[in-house]
Amino acid sequence: MLLPDYYEFCCRVKIVAGHDALEKIPELLTERGAKRPLIITDKGVASAGLIDIVSAAQKDRLFADLIADNVPPDSDLRVVNQLAKLYKENDCDAIIAVGGGSVMDTAKGVNIVVSENAEDLMAFSGVGALKRPLKPLIAVPTTAGTGSEVTQVAVIKDHEKHLKMAFGSYFLLPDISVLDSRMTMTMPPLITAMTGMDALSHAVEAYYCLQKNPLSDAHSLAAVRMIYHYLPIVAENPSDRNARLSMAVGACLAGIAFSNSMVGLVHNLGHATGSVCGVPHGICMAIMLPYGLEYNMHKREEAIAGLLLPMAGEAIYRETPPAQRADKVVSLIRQLNADLNTITGGRHARFFKEVKDREGKPLVPREVLPQIARAALSDGASIYNPEDTDYEDNLMVLEAAWEGIPLDRNKIKRG
Amino acid sequence: MNSVPVFAFTCPVKTNSGNKALEHLPVELAGLNACRPLIITSAKAVGRKAVRTLQNAFGDSGMTLGLFDGVTKTADLGLIEHLKNICLEKKYDAIIALGGYDIVDAAKVLNLAVSLDTADAHKLSPETPVRRHLSPLVVVPTAAASGLETSKFAHFSRRIYSSEYLAPNLVVIDPRLTRAADGKTIAATGLAALGRAAESHISADANPFRDAYSFAAIRFVKENLPAAVIKPADKKASLAILNAASMSGCAASDANSARLHKLGQVFYEMQHIPQGVIMGMCLPHVLGDYLQEGINDLASLLLPLVGEDEFSRTPAAKRADAALAVLGRFLADLYGALGKDLPRNLREAGVPGYIMEDILDVLDKDNEGPYLRTVVERIAE
Repeated sequence: MLLPDYYEFCCRVKIVAGHDALEKIPELLTERGAKRPLIITDKGVASAGLIDIVSAAQKDRLFADLIADNVPPDSDLRVVNQLAKLYKENDCDAIIAVGGGSVMDTAKGVNIVVSENAEDLMAFSGVGALKRPLKPLIAVPTTAGTGSEVTQVAVIKDHEKHLKMAFGSYFLLPDISVLDSRMTMTMPPLITAMTGMDALSHAVEAYYCLQKNPLSDAHSLAAVRMIYHYLPIVAENPSDRNARLSMAVGACLAGIAFSNSMVGLVHNLGHATGSVCGVPHGICMAIMLPYGLEYNMHKREEAIAGLLLPMAGEAIYRETPPAQRADKVVSLIRQLNADLNTITGGRHARFFKEVKDREGKPLVPREVLPQIARAALSDGASIYNPEDTDYEDNLMVLEAAWEGIPLDRNKIKRG
Repeated sequence: MNSVPVFAFTCPVKTNSGNKALEHLPVELAGLNACRPLIITSAKAVGRKAVRTLQNAFGDSGMTLGLFDGVTKTADLGLIEHLKNICLEKKYDAIIALGGYDIVDAAKVLNLAVSLDTADAHKLSPETPVRRHLSPLVVVPTAAASGLETSKFAHFSRRIYSSEYLAPNLVVIDPRLTRAADGKTIAATGLAALGRAAESHISADANPFRDAYSFAAIRFVKENLPAAVIKPADKKASLAILNAASMSGCAASDANSARLHKLGQVFYEMQHIPQGVIMGMCLPHVLGDYLQEGINDLASLLLPLVGEDEFSRTPAAKRADAALAVLGRFLADLYGALGKDLPRNLREAGVPGYIMEDILDVLDKDNEGPYLRTVVERIAE
């Protein structure tokens, strides 16, 4: 097992998981001396009935009636400040964040403001600006998922000044993450597929990128095993609660892995595609994942091969000659995308050419690929990719991912 | 994954491991809002060179370092009260525990006293409620480690303190401090790590978060302990073993039963035998008994012990037995390599008869006492 010359690893979040995990919230807050939480969520989560489930699970043991559901799809500084004011006016002493990435980021931003009595959130941006624990924060993810319930970062947009503020600190980690199968039961198959592939991309990239370490590896392997096995099951059987819980656990393990090991080409090109063309993040990850593996294969074949056993199980591992294991991992991921495409009636895209919006309009015109390739050059995820990338490399990969054809590895420039 | 009741896991400890890990301390402490740490250690146990290495790592950081290097195995709440007053007087705002075992236990209890503003540390007890974060605590292990340094437990003055908030914020594993003077020291650390990691996996409900730590620990010990024992000065091998010890402590915080731990602890307290030595003796018996009980997942232990190829070739029904066999061979090789330096039974460890009586009395008070007695009988000769 790899032992780097130097590494760091941290996940201070207490994970509480189960079919009835939400019912533990009152005692979890009491242990931290809190009893009056502000519940932060968005309208989508609320209208799916999930907040009612959270409130009902408290059964009068907790004042769980202060609910703010106005978090927008992109975290917004105005909303952060408004929610912080609500928190203070109501003498709250904890935050419960129920939702996906934007809700988590908003909750983390609110926590900075209320804990540090911040007049200006920007003063705490960057890395290391926070120096002491914040108020108790419980994260309840409703997708499986972004992993943001276990990350030490938050991004808040200031729409007035057209700024994106990024915050990085171990103090931003939620105190507790509650993984309850009820929170993801209502996810339709397409969202299930794309958020599941997002989680898989975290686990896989964390395993082969440059900052990997023994503990991130251990979390990656556990995540890959759970996600690969349960994602097709839960996409086809949305009400399978064991599969839902396993996916939530797998996505959380993947979040722990990548937040301690960083990510690479898949996220680099995926972020750029998302920001230029508005393609949902999970779809970008799903499409790019096999290409990230192919691009880095000459430098990371052994690590990629190490994913085969947790993914495919012993029988396939035994049948696959060692020299073919890494390629087998790539083909299994392609097959997974194909299976999800079938399960979702063609809506889970396998390549960029077939990504369409609700009206059926293609979201990624071929002529936009050069713009995406350029945009990717300024994304930080390229730093941790094992093989260097430049504009031409990015474009080559994007062209292949657009068509849905394997990468021609002979064309990869070796750095 | 089967339908399981609610399970939980927490590891509050950040891990910094590797070359020049110590030199990151000033930045890490500043990140915890601390600038005047008190180093707690035993110069006799860790050696003056280790103390100097730690102090020198602060270079020109401008931080004020305090030092108390007289922790002993008989440390009590009187010492804690004394150190608490020193902390208050000198305004120390963090504690760095250099070493393992009693040093770290004392540091955890001191942190409790200081952080809770306890008027009289003599009044501290395991029942003292802890509901918030304590002051920053850093553990810097040396080669001799019990594997509980990173856990939420402190065994102090014959009592067991337990709270998530007792675990250190940070463990700094630096190869300059982790290489051992001799094979038996690193063997004891490795066996403690192996025992704790194995037991935390099989004695509790399935928990993939905990298993991430325990499986990594088992793999590190299996792959590195033989080399570390033959060449204790091998920095990489001993670094891996101390990584394993740290990971096993993180896993042990969440374990249910602790048969191996209880056995190791009682012999340590009564006869000062390193816990890993006893745990190594007991490991085959305790794991074999778990196998007989038939309710624990020994089979999955095989993967970190032998790797992917051998694991996948072993039929599922034979994996638990195979895991025991691998462990048996591993231990036999260690005993072969160390000879008299690693006792295989209590007679070789030189435990006198009258101490045995006291040990059995202590075990009898435990709710698993009758079982633990049977293990002690089996490791006697």
